Amino acid sequence: MMIRRLFQRMCNAATAVTLAVLVCGAVLTLAIGAAALLGYPPLRVAVLWLHGAAGSWYALSSSCADACPLLLTGLAAGVAFRAGVLNIGAQGQFLMGALVAVALSTRMMICHQPVLVIPLALIGGALAGGMWGLIAQYLERYRSVPVVLSTILLNFVALYLAEAALQGPLQAVGTAAAQSPEIAGKYWLPLFVAYTDFHIGIILALVLAVLLWVLQERTVFGFESQVVGLNPGTAKAMRMPVTWRQFQIMFISGGCAGLGGAIQVLGQVHFMTAHMGNYGYAGIAVALLGRLNPLGIIFSAGFFGFLDTGAFRVEESSLALPHDMANVIKAVVILVMLVLAGISLRRSRRVGNPGSSAPTETPSA
Amino acid sequence: MNTSQNIITFLSRQAVTAATPMILAGVGELVGELSGVINIGIEGAMLMGCIAAYTVTGVTGHGTVGLLAAGATGMVMAVIFAAATVWGRADQIVAGTAMDLLGVGLSGMIWMMYQNWRENLGFSTALPHGSGFSPVVIPLLHEIPYLGPALFEQYMLCYLTMCLCVVAWWTLNHTRLGLIIRALGDAPEACHAAGVRVRLGRSLCLLFAGACAGAAGAYLSIMQTHAFASDMTGGEGFVVLALVIFGRWKLPGLVGGCLFFGLINSLQQTLQTARYTSQNTALHALTHVPFQFFQMLPYVAAIAALAIMSRKSPGPRYINIPWPSTKT
Repeated sequence: MMIRRLFQRMCNAATAVTLAVLVCGAVLTLAIGAAALLGYPPLRVAVLWLHGAAGSWYALSSSCADACPLLLTGLAAGVAFRAGVLNIGAQGQFLMGALVAVALSTRMMICHQPVLVIPLALIGGALAGGMWGLIAQYLERYRSVPVVLSTILLNFVALYLAEAALQGPLQAVGTAAAQSPEIAGKYWLPLFVAYTDFHIGIILALVLAVLLWVLQERTVFGFESQVVGLNPGTAKAMRMPVTWRQFQIMFISGGCAGLGGAIQVLGQVHFMTAHMGNYGYAGIAVALLGRLNPLGIIFSAGFFGFLDTGAFRVEESSLALPHDMANVIKAVVILVMLVLAGISLRRSRRVGNPGSSAPTETPSA
Repeated sequence: MNTSQNIITFLSRQAVTAATPMILAGVGELVGELSGVINIGIEGAMLMGCIAAYTVTGVTGHGTVGLLAAGATGMVMAVIFAAATVWGRADQIVAGTAMDLLGVGLSGMIWMMYQNWRENLGFSTALPHGSGFSPVVIPLLHEIPYLGPALFEQYMLCYLTMCLCVVAWWTLNHTRLGLIIRALGDAPEACHAAGVRVRLGRSLCLLFAGACAGAAGAYLSIMQTHAFASDMTGGEGFVVLALVIFGRWKLPGLVGGCLFFGLINSLQQTLQTARYTSQNTALHALTHVPFQFFQMLPYVAAIAALAIMSRKSPGPRYINIPWPSTKT
């Protein structure tokens, strides 16, 4: 029985993936057509794009390394949205995680053993992200400030906090910019394929995605948090610890984003500025494209990483096609998938409760 | 004129200047949300407004044409969004995220291509001299002590925004049209029963919101700065979203929130420079505080204000619920 259900689920996932691949193919064709209209040679754009994103082990590894922070911020958004916690603050949590990881690996050295420093920095980053998320949840629970609102505002607070730290105690010697010193080579995340960007952070993120899937789909905790998301009233009536679950979810969500920041600085960029890319905001799109399913998020993050890396290589080439093309393609893919497959935050159809996010009683005319 | 009057005059003027684009975009977003559609992608529409205004002004040399182009571009973005959410029944949060990405991507692309194109032609990418807007001083009224400059030494679009606020407030609260707009978000069934076309109504509200967001973008690029930079809105669209909730879906609340935000922002900017020049020891002691803490102030103040006021408003009931609620 269990195996049959699992198989059905995989079939569903397979259909979704096939659909996604088809849509991506169609959109890529369209994009290349658009490039042709704008006066760029379409075939060369396509070849350069594919070559830049997956043409060699190195290209493939940089696509994966770019997808890694997206996967983690995507998981952050996905876990939270599924439980009805509208955490838009992955960007801030990502920054706080990166900040703590940099601090632990450059300044606040407790010891100098990479075996200890790396895990410490990763855990510290995850905790920092989680705590940053908890502020928003605290404000929601005890001060009635909606999470959507406080997380947006806290993103900016985190940004300026990170800048202040990077221009103050964490600033690199000999620069006026808000920038941390480079992390010593021995504290970088080890590579599992030499001379590429395949660092163990990627494996860590994948494992985390699978664990989160198990947590969501196979445990009481996952079920309860889903009920809390669909209908807090029902959850309360069923004596589920609604507040506690929301705090836990927020902590997990923020922790994922914070871990993403830590992995990004330790594994990929090796120093920090406050403008490390909009991974947090992009994570929302990744999560939604992956239909809030951790396994789906792996694919959508990979897709985003693939697009971004290819776009940057095309921009660097003699063609100089603006890399923002990648963002346009992502937007079009989401819009097309939306209408075709109905990506939705309202999971009503699957659960069979049409009024999940609607007001419970029918409003009188 | 004494110093305190000077300071108040200066701060209030800065606050209104900074708040105008947020109020403008906010009024549009508010109308959209009242009709039952939340648009998270307002940042994207603003960015498209920025780039449209800048490039069109650069090419034609007329700021007004640029402003109109920005409004039109915002409406085009709204058409896409309305097609997906109102007619295609897509989830509004998801579609909004896509619109944000679309705005960021398209505006960045257009900007790079515009630069290449102008440079190949041998033109500068800067705005032609005198084509951007400068503040319009209204004679006599601007001499009113304290608040005169704040209200009467502003850009043309700011005066339009003030008029728009009054008109929108009157319409929303005292006319049949306003009742319909609010009913679209609170009781679409009732609208339907009364013969109002719900989806058409929502689409029109979104078009209005798009035009507002586009114009707000134009304000940033061809009025306030006379420049374009990719991602120049810097999250202002998200702040607007927050301020609509902050104002509890009421126009005066929204305007108050924007002005409060603008005031704290101009206050922190003034403090940043004043602490170095001031003779006052208390102010001078602030020189050791990193300037980022000043930049943080408006956001912290907004969170603090919310935490203190602490009253939740549910907002329009049918936000993010497509019409008709069952697919036929």
